Amino acid sequence: MRMLSHMREHKSSSDRFVIKFAIAAIMLICVMAVSCCLGSSDVTLADVLKYFTGRGDELAKTTLTIIGRIRVPRTITAMLIGGALASVGCVMQGVFRNPMADPSVLGISSGAALGAAIAIVTGLNGVIFFEAFTGAYIGAVIGAIVTWLMVFTIAAQNGRYDTSSTLLAGIAISSIMSALITVLMTLHLEQMERVYMWMLGTFSASTTDKTKLLAVVVGLMMPILIWIAPRIDVLKLGKEAAMTLGVDQTRTLAVALAVSSCLLAFSVANAGIIGFVGLIIPHIVSFFGVTRMRRRLVLSFMTGAIFMIVCDTVCKTIVAPGELAIGAVTSLIGAPYFLFLLMSSRIRSGKERSNV
Amino acid sequence: MNLDVKNINVSFGDTKVLKDVSHTFKEGKITIILGPNGCGKTTLIKSVVKMFAKQCDMSYIPQEIYGNIGLNVSDLVALGRYNEKKFFNSENEEDLKHIESALKLMQLDDKKGQLYDTLSGGEKQRCMAARAICQDASWFIMDEPASNLDIVHSKYILDTARDLVKNEGKSFIIVMHDLNAASTYGDEFILMKEGQIVKVCSELEPELLQDVFETKFGCVKTPSGKDVFYTE
Repeated sequence: MRMLSHMREHKSSSDRFVIKFAIAAIMLICVMAVSCCLGSSDVTLADVLKYFTGRGDELAKTTLTIIGRIRVPRTITAMLIGGALASVGCVMQGVFRNPMADPSVLGISSGAALGAAIAIVTGLNGVIFFEAFTGAYIGAVIGAIVTWLMVFTIAAQNGRYDTSSTLLAGIAISSIMSALITVLMTLHLEQMERVYMWMLGTFSASTTDKTKLLAVVVGLMMPILIWIAPRIDVLKLGKEAAMTLGVDQTRTLAVALAVSSCLLAFSVANAGIIGFVGLIIPHIVSFFGVTRMRRRLVLSFMTGAIFMIVCDTVCKTIVAPGELAIGAVTSLIGAPYFLFLLMSSRIRSGKERSNV
Repeated sequence: MNLDVKNINVSFGDTKVLKDVSHTFKEGKITIILGPNGCGKTTLIKSVVKMFAKQCDMSYIPQEIYGNIGLNVSDLVALGRYNEKKFFNSENEEDLKHIESALKLMQLDDKKGQLYDTLSGGEKQRCMAARAICQDASWFIMDEPASNLDIVHSKYILDTARDLVKNEGKSFIIVMHDLNAASTYGDEFILMKEGQIVKVCSELEPELLQDVFETKFGCVKTPSGKDVFYTE
């Protein structure tokens, strides 16, 4: 009650977070249910509801298998990866104070992909534990962290980091990493198709174990990001001003970047390079008036999850029984919507300015 | 508590920016640091912040203004109330009171909901000042807080500083370039040159300024008895 009365008082700067959060949660549940129904074989909404309300034994055995082993893991994987990528993008844009920052722009995705690709072609991709944790994950984590360190060492001078040189260094390193992947694939032609298909991005290989592993990682990492999110806002005041508020720049950056590269590496190792989500989703959340880091992060996670499930549903239905690459769909759906928002907000702010 | 700084040396690469600087910043005063560009003023106050940020509550207004902050005015000012002990960082009644009064003091009431990045340079500076004020610290360290302000607002921000010193016993360290404003508001002056403190005094004189800035200075008295400095 106390909190509610505060929110009412603070209306002038309130962004109606609770309402937006509720809408996003309802949408997320709806798209998840729909995504479980759609695919190459028919499952009705009633079947899905039965599965989730614990009446699964009333269903035919094949339907049960399709929902439990294929649809649910795939939908949840799409949700987790969409959310994770959007959150990582949100954190990076805040940390670098640059609206262009995004894991694929900064080369971290390519670095993780290179690490995973090395693990795949060298045959180090054996199962380590849990029937899902393979060498590719370790390769991806190492690749992501090494890329981060490279980008940072090149961009940082005298302990200060300059946002535009970080971005430039990232773009250059990204192209080096992509080139190395190409070289690697050419050297291992027999594995080329496998690596290539994985890199384009797909959720079709999701299994229950892989999904559980991903859920554990996201479940551990997201709370840390949400916990430190307000510090990222404080860092926007500058290093010394943040210090007077008890926020240490180096420590905050180290935690934020380590956690986000871990999230990113697991996403990439699981479903390949899916660009664009980390870039646009945080902006979409800002367009809806949510700007404080913690709230923006939570809504970015949910919006990213919704967006990814929608894209994955399109992927698996539009050319059924074939599949589209998820990266193509995220760009085809996301980019026009993003451009629409960009133009409409330009027009709106232009009007506001001329009114003044 | 006075801030006692002893033998600070800072260098960037091969260039020594501060050479063995020592000074005691006195509580309850407005200390103004003057000197030509690149003499180490900013480095000095940044070192002070680094040394004392953990021990005493202070607030700092940096000289550089970042772009792409992406927060609206009241959210940016609210950062001044950030407290890492509170997990849910939503402001309590006391915080809101501080934020409201800081916004009012810096005349930003009507800009509350506007995005910080769309403000003018002077408004951004007032916004940063409001953020520092709502921190309610006992030391205010400001790096050219009035560089983008019109003459009315820059007088206003210094009047506010003087009121805070008189009424609430706050202390200020201010870097600035306007000698006349400095001589009106300052209690103590630190004159710097080439990484060293040349002179600490409580009254500015043309000869001293001449030493530091290497330009000829003159001084006239206004009818109200105020010193006005000019260059020849």
